[in-house]
Parts: sequence; C-alpha cells; structure tokens
Amino acid sequence: MPSGLPKPEILLQAAIAYLREELLPTLSGYHAYQVRVTISVLGILQRSFEKGAALDADERQRLVELLGAEGSRTALNDMLVERISKDEVSLDDPQLRDHILRSLDEALQINNPKWLKN
Amino acid sequence: MAEALAQKLQAALSRQLDGAVVVRDLARLTGGATKQTYAFTAQEGGSARRLIMQLTSVGEQVNSESEMTPRLNGEYDARLTMAAAAKGVLVPKVVCILHKDDGLGSGYVTEFVDGQTLGAKISRDPAFLPAHEKMTEQAGIMLARIHSIDRATVPFLKEHGPQDQVRIYRRLVEHHSYRLPALEFGLRWAEQNVPQRNQLGVIHGDFRNGNFIATPEHGIRAILDWEIGQLGDPMQDLGWFCVKTWRFGGSRPAGGFGTREALFAAYEKECGRTVDVEAVRFWEAFGSVKWAVMCLRKGLQYTEPGRRLEIEQCAIGRRVEEPLYDFFNLIEGRG
Repeated sequence: MPSGLPKPEILLQAAIAYLREELLPTLSGYHAYQVRVTISVLGILQRSFEKGAALDADERQRLVELLGAEGSRTALNDMLVERISKDEVSLDDPQLRDHILRSLDEALQINNPKWLKN
Repeated sequence: MAEALAQKLQAALSRQLDGAVVVRDLARLTGGATKQTYAFTAQEGGSARRLIMQLTSVGEQVNSESEMTPRLNGEYDARLTMAAAAKGVLVPKVVCILHKDDGLGSGYVTEFVDGQTLGAKISRDPAFLPAHEKMTEQAGIMLARIHSIDRATVPFLKEHGPQDQVRIYRRLVEHHSYRLPALEFGLRWAEQNVPQRNQLGVIHGDFRNGNFIATPEHGIRAILDWEIGQLGDPMQDLGWFCVKTWRFGGSRPAGGFGTREALFAAYEKECGRTVDVEAVRFWEAFGSVKWAVMCLRKGLQYTEPGRRLEIEQCAIGRRVEEPLYDFFNLIEGRG
C-alpha cells in the first residue's frame, strides 16, 4: 500500500480539529448539525484505528471457545446466530450472555463510549 | 417551490374555512421521508393565527418500511387525533383535513402549540425539573384516555397484536439479511416471552418523550405523531414510554423524568384498569430491540433504490448496539 507521513490517524485528527475548531463555530442550523454528526462519525473511525483490530481478535477468540469451532470472526458470528435462532443454545446460558454483553461493550467502545457510562 | 406550496395551501384553506385566507411565513420545520411539517401564519380578515401543516406522504415516496408498519395517511392521522381530543387527550386542534384536489398530498392543518419538543431539554434542562412530577402524571392520564377511545370511532386502525409486532421486526431483519448475535438473541427472547394478551385496544404506538410539546409552566401541552396509531396491547405504549433511548439521558425510567410507579398509578387512577407490570417490562425490553432494528434500517437505507448516502442515517446505523446493550441490562435486572 502506498503510504506516507503523516500517518492516517494524524490526518483524521487534523480533519476533526479543522471541522470542530474552525468550521463549526461559523455555522448554524442544518449545517452545524450535519458537521457535528460528521465529527462524531470521524470519531468512530479514530477509535476503530486505535483498537478495532484488537477488539475484533478478542471477540473471535471468545467465539472459538463458545462454539468449539474455528473460522473467521464473521463466519463464527453467523454460526452463533444460527444456533440462537434454532434454539441450539439456551438464552439463559451464562456463557452466551456474557459473550454477547462483552461484544456489545466492545462495539460501544468504538461507536459510542459515552453510552457505557450512563 | 415554497411559493407554489403556499399558493395551494392558501386555496385549500380559503375553500375549507369559507373565507379568504392569506398564507404568510411558510417555513419547513422538520422533514423525513414519510412526513413533513410546516409552520405558517394564516390571515383571515382582521385576525391572524399560527398554524401547522403536516404532510404525511409527499409525492410518490413509498418505501418498504411503510409496507411493513401500519402508517396512517393524513386523513386517518387527523381523525385519530380528533378522536383522542374528544376523550380529553391534549392534542393540537385539527383545523382542516386536506383533500385530494387540494394538490398537496395527504395531510392536515392544526393549530400551533408553543413549547419544547426536544427530549433532552424536557428530561434534563433544570427549567423543566419542577414540572417532572406533573408531566409523569399527565403522561399516565393521557395514555389512559387514549386507551379508552372506542375502536368503533376509528374503524380504519389495523390490528397488531403482540405476536404480530414481534413478527414484523423479525421480518425487517430478515429483509436486510443482517446477522448480529445480540440482535438475534433479542428477537428470539421476544418470541419466547411475548405476552399472551389479545385484548387489543386503540394505542398511540409512538408515545414517548420527544413526541409531545411541553413547557415548564404547563407540563405536557399536546401529544404529537399519531401516524402509527393502531389496535394493540395497551401495555405496549406504557413500555415504549420507558425505553432507555427515550429518556434522553434523564435519570428516571418514565420519559427520563418520572418513576414507573408514578406513571402506572396515574394511569390506573384515570381508567380504573390495572397495569400488567410484567407485560410493560416486556414491551420496554422489546422496545429496545425494535429501536435497534430501526437503527439498522436507517444505517442501511442508502442500499434501497433511489436513496442517497446521508451522514445522519449512517451515524444512526452505528447506534444499533446502544439499545441492545440497554436490553441486556434490563432483562438482567439492571435497567
């Protein structure tokens, strides 16, 4: 992959800083709102760069243990969906609940960490 | 465009109100794919009044969502609002229902009600704190009155019992072939725990903070957004009102500003019927699953024919996990 400096996360940081500190104060109404949404979407990307891969690996490892099977994270998730929909696993299974709650926690760490605090 | 709309509206009002009406200051307030809201001033002779026009379907916009959820057209929406008003529910007074030959599409005109609709302001702005107790009581009373509407007066409402509700959301997820274990868990949980309550009555369908107008002085002044009114389990409305998303960061379960106990007490006192607390809890938990499905649909809306890629819809798509996280906390007794 062609690359250069600054690194992608720095480019993102610069873009966010411009939108938030320079552009946003000049806007109102519809465009101010849209820019706020854009900044928050870019924040999701920042957190994905920072820890997306590590969180995905954790989730995959738990799926391997829960299902006793190997495969990509996506394939294992599909398998889990299948087992839940066919009642092959009880919804009261503590290991299942623990896994799902942790996966939601991990997704929220990327998508909206504030939700975990309230 | 706005000028043409004002002209049509002026002609419609002049005809329906039997007198010359001049429309001024027409401005669009909000708009979604299925509904647009406009504010304007109507000058009739020497008097002027602020009015609101709701257009419930504009042009030929039909999407798969409206085929799957029972959305009322403008006329039925207005007639349900009027039936609620007759039962003492606070609503914006309907001034007229638009006709096909008005050329504006399906919709109606109401009086303008001043106040706040933003959920976060209502649940967290210190100015609203003194009104919270009163608003909780009002919400219980309003729901009790809505649930007392005689279904014979609104024959156009469709029946959607508890099982139908769960089935609709299952189908929506299947439509998108989106596979997420937490969502599958939520749907399966709903299928296994759906209450066997088949005494259906008139329900609002979207009664929540954000869908009413309130002021610190009066509390709730008008209940809005009647377009998914239906015949369903009345407990569904009580549960939906408590869904965590609709608390807008407020610390209490009922709308973010009241306790469940106070809401239920006001409801029972008004209509004399006992709240089925277990069923309400189901609807609150399933409400979070429903909202997760709605987030998913918003996030994937750009894949539907004729839709643009929009940043806000994409951002909502990334909110799928919020209500599912709330759902888990609720079923594990932490909600």
